[in-house]
Amino acid sequence: MKKTTLIIMAGVTVLFLLSWIIKALALEGMQEDYIKKAFLVTFSAFLTLSILSFLYRDNPFYKFAEHLFVGVSAAFWMSMGFWSTIVGNLIPRLSQNLSVFFKVHYIPGDFNFRFYIPVILGLLLLMRLSRNYGWISRWSLAFIVGTTAGLNFIRYLRSDFIKQISATFVPLLVDWQGTGHFFSNLDLSASGQLVMMLANWTIFLGVMSGIIYFFFSKEHTGMFGRASRFGIWVLMITFGASFGYTVMGRISLLVGRITFLFRDWLGFNI
Amino acid sequence: MRYILIIFSLILITFSAVIGQVDPVVTDSLAPVPAPPAPVTEVAVSDKANDHGHALIIEWKRSLDDGAGSNAVMLYEIFRSEFPDSAFKMVGSVPLGNERFEDIGTIEKESRDYIPDNTNLYYRVDAVTIDPVVRTSSEVYGPVQSYSNWFHKGRVPVLTAVLIFGALMVYFVSVARKGTELYVRPLAGIAAVDDAIGRATEMGRPILYILGLGTADMISTIASFTILSRVAKQVAEYQTELIVPCYDPIVMTVAQEVVKSSYLDAGHPDNYKEDSVFYITTNQFAYVAAVNGIMLRDLPATNVYMGKFYAESLILAETGAVAGSIQIAGTDEVGQLPFFIVACDYTLIGEELYAASAYLGREPIMLGSLKAQDYAKAAVIVLMILGLLAINVHLNAFIEIFKVVD
Amino acid sequence: MTSHLMPPLALTLVDIGRILSLAVIAGGLLWLFLRAIKRKEVERRVIFLFIFVSVVAPILFPTVFQEKATPIVKDVFDKIESLPPGSVVLLSYDFDPAMAPEVQPMADAISRHCLVRGLKIIYMCLFATGQGQFTSTLENVIKPEFPDKVNLVDYVNIGYKAGNEGVLNVIITDFKKMFPTDVDGVPYDSIAVFKGIRSCKDLDLVISIGGGKPGIKEWILFVGDPGNVPIASGVAAVVAPLMYPYYPAQMLGMLGGIKGAAEYESELVHHYPQFKNSPTPALLMMGPQTLAHLVIMAFIVIGNILYLLERKKGRKR
Repeated sequence: MKKTTLIIMAGVTVLFLLSWIIKALALEGMQEDYIKKAFLVTFSAFLTLSILSFLYRDNPFYKFAEHLFVGVSAAFWMSMGFWSTIVGNLIPRLSQNLSVFFKVHYIPGDFNFRFYIPVILGLLLLMRLSRNYGWISRWSLAFIVGTTAGLNFIRYLRSDFIKQISATFVPLLVDWQGTGHFFSNLDLSASGQLVMMLANWTIFLGVMSGIIYFFFSKEHTGMFGRASRFGIWVLMITFGASFGYTVMGRISLLVGRITFLFRDWLGFNI
Repeated sequence: MRYILIIFSLILITFSAVIGQVDPVVTDSLAPVPAPPAPVTEVAVSDKANDHGHALIIEWKRSLDDGAGSNAVMLYEIFRSEFPDSAFKMVGSVPLGNERFEDIGTIEKESRDYIPDNTNLYYRVDAVTIDPVVRTSSEVYGPVQSYSNWFHKGRVPVLTAVLIFGALMVYFVSVARKGTELYVRPLAGIAAVDDAIGRATEMGRPILYILGLGTADMISTIASFTILSRVAKQVAEYQTELIVPCYDPIVMTVAQEVVKSSYLDAGHPDNYKEDSVFYITTNQFAYVAAVNGIMLRDLPATNVYMGKFYAESLILAETGAVAGSIQIAGTDEVGQLPFFIVACDYTLIGEELYAASAYLGREPIMLGSLKAQDYAKAAVIVLMILGLLAINVHLNAFIEIFKVVD
Repeated sequence: MTSHLMPPLALTLVDIGRILSLAVIAGGLLWLFLRAIKRKEVERRVIFLFIFVSVVAPILFPTVFQEKATPIVKDVFDKIESLPPGSVVLLSYDFDPAMAPEVQPMADAISRHCLVRGLKIIYMCLFATGQGQFTSTLENVIKPEFPDKVNLVDYVNIGYKAGNEGVLNVIITDFKKMFPTDVDGVPYDSIAVFKGIRSCKDLDLVISIGGGKPGIKEWILFVGDPGNVPIASGVAAVVAPLMYPYYPAQMLGMLGGIKGAAEYESELVHHYPQFKNSPTPALLMMGPQTLAHLVIMAFIVIGNILYLLERKKGRKR
């Protein structure tokens, strides 16, 4: 490690230690466990800045924050899995003594041999750790894949296929009472006749041409080709909108972090 | 003193009961006691259709004093028993004006909501006034039984769709297995891959192939293997360098096999280098950092991204663009498509990735399912046009077909 | 600084800050444009700096814009308005701290709205970390603003259960099976909010706040469609475009990203002036959003001008 790197690291550490002390002094009298609270805020600020420092270039602070995040989240999910799945869902149905031990609400009378099936399948899944008997875990995997596929197949078919088809059955002439009525009621409000009509036409043409674009059994030439071309435009507009929304989302997250830094850490009144 | 009072009231109650003229309940309020209302009539109980049993539907005709007559009825209480004349237990109540109640129980015997199936049950509906004591019971209806149904008739549309799609799938897969030629239109992205490999050869620079973050069982990763096989074959012919950094160890093992056999097919097994397909790490951003490093150091002429991608899509594609490589991407992760489209030269959008794989691999299952999907899409178009016509001429019967009830 | 000492047309510090930051950004963009025309490379860190300044300036010198609810947001608001007091609403916190800046304001605003209308709320989460996010609503909204609302009577938190869509598949028929108690171990049958509620089908409204998986899509697929339960949502911006196809047939309304949240907040303040002094984080966030978007739009315009110039030059050759 270079000497300058060490100096910078030491400097930053001192800076944040100072920040902790100042924060603790500021919080004293306002909160009970002010030293702990000040540490948490300062440490969060340090981690936020460490991650943001990647925008300048890769550095040890970023690496530290990233590794800490990876490690903590792995441990968090593991303990969460144990406490919410095994202790939360299984033990209350399995044994009263264990429920008392783990301090969870026992579900009396619900005991049934079928709750041992997931226990066995779960144990089989752990066989993945064995080099020679790893193949046994495929039974559990097959069960997971099979049930999920079955469950999702029906739900998706209903919600994403049948219901979505019927959602495209829209009146192309909304509230049509002749041209006289149409022209006398022209307004540009979102619930106005003209806008509704345009929206419905867009849905109809967009869905139709989008499907045509993803039709692989026919060469895209002539009329079909033109429809597919329109389809790709519709797709591109959708992606554009999606991109715009993503930018909005990312900026929101940045605003969230910056607000944290200025308000919670530096104590600005915003 | 208290005992004297109790004894006194007991004597009073007994006395008044004997006389039969005084109300046995001593009330100090002056509010008029409502007269018992007219009973509900035509009580009918039937099993709830399309369910797993343990539920019944009770219907009746309102009391004459509900909203009319003496206007005394406030609510209806529904009682159930397993005997025609005793042990009635209240199972629910509905406010005045209602003529229907669903008595939905559970399958669990221990639960207090348990309703036994295939057992005679008796029901009675009470019209209750503001004073809960003043009420009139209907005649007892029964016996009636609840039972479970084998078919949920409301789900017929889903069943039909499953059967049609399944049949199409089986048919086309079997046709493809027999070796019948199934047409799939050529895709611009695939032609671009061929050109890009040529370009890399001319420039003497490597080709980088990224399989994404998917596991080996994901359909997009499987599709990516087929495309990798084609790329590797051509690379072997042109004797260009191929780099395949992997995120998942199992994916790496498969990718090694794919590349090896492609070199063999191309007739250049000796050109295959074991370390051209290698594992990096199963950590999203660490993987990205490593791949970015490869892009900036080795300056590949072409980057191919095929498979499952998440938040790393833009970081990868942007670095590739900065390095000046030609980039071809394909993913079924809709959220990531916009990023690939802006940063890559060609992008296979969603299903095009599967189509490309079917086109190149000619795998019967892939080809067959692609064909089946095409027919399903054609059916959607036809149904859409019919539905639009129906809704615009107010033919509601057609639209009702698509109603799935639970 | 006291106001009576200031001359009538004097600028406040905030105004000066606003003008200065706008001048810096405009000047910077001009510099960028000139450099681009001269074909000089611009370091990407400069771009980051632009975004940083355009986000920080409106935070330090706040500018609040007026928002008008779009129909898709208004539908959610109107649905809650139309429910009679005592109706039961389920609010699912399907998000983690990473998504919180975007969607926590929605959860808070909707909680406020439901409680002021006298609706009962069942809080749950499909994300394990959603639990902590609910605590934020409890501490920042429910306890300080609605001190008379009682846990278990006006609202209840049943917490997290592992199982993703599996959880939904169970509670569509029976809540108690999946949630025998609330988070504090109070048995289901003694929770007043659950009186008359057996499954999701008995709920008057379900609102999923989130942006990942499991999230609103699972709610529609496993609860809304099969149970015919009215579903609304508040989603992170990344997911919003993917959810539009479900509106209005399968999802009655949606708050998309921080813009949706801001619209909801302004609608709430408009209808319930008592919330004028409540925090409106989403409305405050629209300032940085607007400025950052303007800067990004300027980047796109500059980039495209450059592209057109290059193409023209290429043709001449």
